[in-house]
Amino acid sequence: MLHSHGVRRPLARPTIDVAIVLSIAFGILAGAAGYWGVIRSPELVRAPDDAAVIAAARTVPRGRILDRTGSVLARNKADAYGELYRVYAGPAISQVVGYASRQYGEAGLERAFDAELSGLAGDPLTDALGKFGTDRYDPRDLTLSISYDLQKAAVRELGSRRGAVVMLDPRTGEVLALASTPTYDASAIANPATSQAAFAELQDDPSQPLLPRATLGRYVPGSVFKIVTAIAGLGSGAITPATTYKEQPGAERNGLLVDGFRVRDGHHLFTGSTPLDLVSATEVSCNIWYALTGLKTGGANLVAYAQRMGFGSALPFDLPTAASQVTNGTGNQPGGFLDDVELANAAYGQAETFVTPLQMALVAATVANRGELMRPRLVTSTKGQRGGVRTIPAATMGRVIPVDAAQAITAAMVQAVEGPFGQQFTSGAKVGGITTAGKSGTAQLGGSGEPHSWFIGFAPAANPSVAIAVLVEQGGRGGEVAAPIAGRLMARYLAGTP
Amino acid sequence: MALGTPRAVEAPGLPRILGPIRPRARWNELRLLGLVAVTLVVGSLSLGATLSGRFGLYDARGLAIYLGALLVAHLAQVLAGRRTDQVLLPAVALLGGVSLLLMERLPQDLVVQTFFGRTFGLADVQLTWLVCAIGVATTLGIVVRSDSWLRRYKYTWAAAGVGLLLLTFVLGTEINGQRLTLQVGPLSGQPSELLKVILVVFLAGYLSENRGLLVEQDTRVGPLRLPPVPYLAPMVAMWAIALGIVVVQRDLGAALLFFGVFLALVYAATGRISLVLIGIVLFLLGSAAMANLFEHVRTRIDVWLDPFGDPLGSGYQVIQALHAFARGGLLGMGLGGGLPMIAGRPPIPEIHTDFPLAALGEELGIVGVVAILGIYLVIVQRGLRIGVAAADDFRSLLAIGLALVIGIQAFIIAAGNLEVLPLTGVTLPFISYGGSSLMANALVIGLLLALSDKGVEPPPPPGVLPRWRRLARRGAA
Repeated sequence: MLHSHGVRRPLARPTIDVAIVLSIAFGILAGAAGYWGVIRSPELVRAPDDAAVIAAARTVPRGRILDRTGSVLARNKADAYGELYRVYAGPAISQVVGYASRQYGEAGLERAFDAELSGLAGDPLTDALGKFGTDRYDPRDLTLSISYDLQKAAVRELGSRRGAVVMLDPRTGEVLALASTPTYDASAIANPATSQAAFAELQDDPSQPLLPRATLGRYVPGSVFKIVTAIAGLGSGAITPATTYKEQPGAERNGLLVDGFRVRDGHHLFTGSTPLDLVSATEVSCNIWYALTGLKTGGANLVAYAQRMGFGSALPFDLPTAASQVTNGTGNQPGGFLDDVELANAAYGQAETFVTPLQMALVAATVANRGELMRPRLVTSTKGQRGGVRTIPAATMGRVIPVDAAQAITAAMVQAVEGPFGQQFTSGAKVGGITTAGKSGTAQLGGSGEPHSWFIGFAPAANPSVAIAVLVEQGGRGGEVAAPIAGRLMARYLAGTP
Repeated sequence: MALGTPRAVEAPGLPRILGPIRPRARWNELRLLGLVAVTLVVGSLSLGATLSGRFGLYDARGLAIYLGALLVAHLAQVLAGRRTDQVLLPAVALLGGVSLLLMERLPQDLVVQTFFGRTFGLADVQLTWLVCAIGVATTLGIVVRSDSWLRRYKYTWAAAGVGLLLLTFVLGTEINGQRLTLQVGPLSGQPSELLKVILVVFLAGYLSENRGLLVEQDTRVGPLRLPPVPYLAPMVAMWAIALGIVVVQRDLGAALLFFGVFLALVYAATGRISLVLIGIVLFLLGSAAMANLFEHVRTRIDVWLDPFGDPLGSGYQVIQALHAFARGGLLGMGLGGGLPMIAGRPPIPEIHTDFPLAALGEELGIVGVVAILGIYLVIVQRGLRIGVAAADDFRSLLAIGLALVIGIQAFIIAAGNLEVLPLTGVTLPFISYGGSSLMANALVIGLLLALSDKGVEPPPPPGVLPRWRRLARRGAA
């Protein structure tokens, strides 16, 4: 065959094949468009590196943040170029609200609720409809349970000392004040003109003003931890309110021998040789009685009851929190204790026990709310132009102990504040005219430093509407430093501050 | 096998520009162009409402010039009276119009060119090229009545193509790590756009001559039944050229396009799937080698496999494109409603050349993307129809190849935008900004129009081969 010319071979068949392959290829493209535009869309359009999110941060006004009375904690202001930046009510609230800065990103609630505040967290339906409007974003205002007045008072009380105050309503879990000192000026970080200098200065500050101590600081609790031991002992049935230990009075003088190690106590020689029960041991803050209770309750129960109140993991909260611990958990004994010595010391808050102030406020709130712990929360409702108001309801973290056990501990904590001996330990915690319950703590740090000063409590004892935890870093004796702060703040709240 | 007496050899005919004028109405084209005009006016109104906040055309002057050019193109074809395809021009006109609307709403300083002391922005330059493209396509569709200038000189064209490639290699300027642009005086262009047309012309010539042999003769290599080895040479040469383009120009997209068109055309001509499979294996082997040898190839592939691995570095543009599709969703943000500016810049720096589909995906949604992809398929379908109905193998393969160039190029860049394939820098035909791209694609459409007019001049009779080819044939047989 010399040429193929002239012999028409059907080109049509393979050409149709090519057309089919190309059509399938284009079908795959349409499928890919659907995948990115519909299936992956909800996730991508909210991602922080989405161009619309970045652009919106500069032009769309963020939602405001309000306290429980409607007082504005965070609002927007336009710079010389018309781009917006945040202005905050004052340094007292910085550790809660945080900041939103173009250079340094977000912290605090500004970070945790970024999607709501920037208006990207609509539900799919309103999002779809919003696309056809002129304004795509629906920034939401946040209303907090915080009372800015109380917050300011708490920061004032702490003054130049480093510390934290947590106040909450035990019935609803609403956090009323969440103060950490030293605090900082969040407005200076948010303002583009000053942010760089302000941020650099804060990062170099050795007192760590950027650290929200109330939620992320972990401290040796000292005697305030005895309330956890009491909860575990009564809850597990290991003790009753009437439990006494006959070896206890003697051990006051010579120390309690545990595994060859002497647990010593020296506070209350004046109780003489009377064996103490729950109420009197709490009143005089008897380390020996609580060590014996811890040993009787057992490490497993102590850790388990602590976990019911949130120990062992980050708390379910609107802000990031550090996990509190009863023990390192490295030992082989039940609960992860190394030995009985560690357990006995942990029972009065002096071993490998580290807690956040927020966690200790929850311990007080558990007792205050008759054994049931409410989930702590800051944001009570959000409100958008299109989406309307969305209320975030109270939620329980579960019952920790029965009501009668909680009432027995309440009685002990009332005695610790109002009893004849208790008054000596916790001078100033009492709210005038109102029965007050509480427990002070003086956490020895070893070495020569001053101890951490602690107080947890609640009022009125019969029907508590406020629970509190106060920590002053290396502040001295709990009864002398933390307790009066707590007393004044609770009095202020109960007098109708909010 | 001789078929009758060969006719006298005609001299290669020059394009016949002037003939008797016998106007012929083109109602389908007019109706479709009317639809295109309505679509573009609505688009421009939408753009105006979004960007300037009032009811009115966004850039009435630009739109008027564009629609005017379309009307002139239509009337010129009516007057010329040829029976050419009536769907191609409206389809291309819609894509070009979408391009015009897109370029109008992007920041105009993405491209600034100064001619005769006047400065032109993105939309002005693109509009100029669009009008030129319509002019070129229409002129070719009217004027070209003979294919002999392509048919006879295919090796000359091939040589010119290789020369162009070499010229780019020697004289080309490097932009973004790719050596794609050839600058001659004030004019610059991307030769690979022209090269793809030359490639199709050469392949159509080569395959139409050798189809019979490629189809009917076998060489057995193990279990494979292959065409005679000498006829595989062009395939190997193509493979080498495609890889050469990657090496020399660092242009993955062009290599993929050339090789894809080559394989599709070989299959269309021979119907032999084995050739395609060998080609794909060769291409994959070559790609693997390239990925090992060249950093820029590996980077593209890494980004394709895990775009979110380096979100602020190499993956940035690809991720931002995916975000654009995500923001668009099903119905899109509306023309002018998308593409948030960050400090006055669009989020995707190369949006007007490499990512126009992402921009359209954001503003017109999946619905718009699918519609645009559909228009490309319409163009391909018209081209393939023209090919199958053409009078001889050369014209068939030429039309099929030209149609596939548009279709495969659109697929490659759309797939790159959508993470279906690694991103390669080819343009989206008729939509991307760029003179070279528009001119080359106008050439494709012009040739398709000309080929669609059956029987104006019959193909040359069989057996008319250059003397040296005849001798080579005898030797092979």
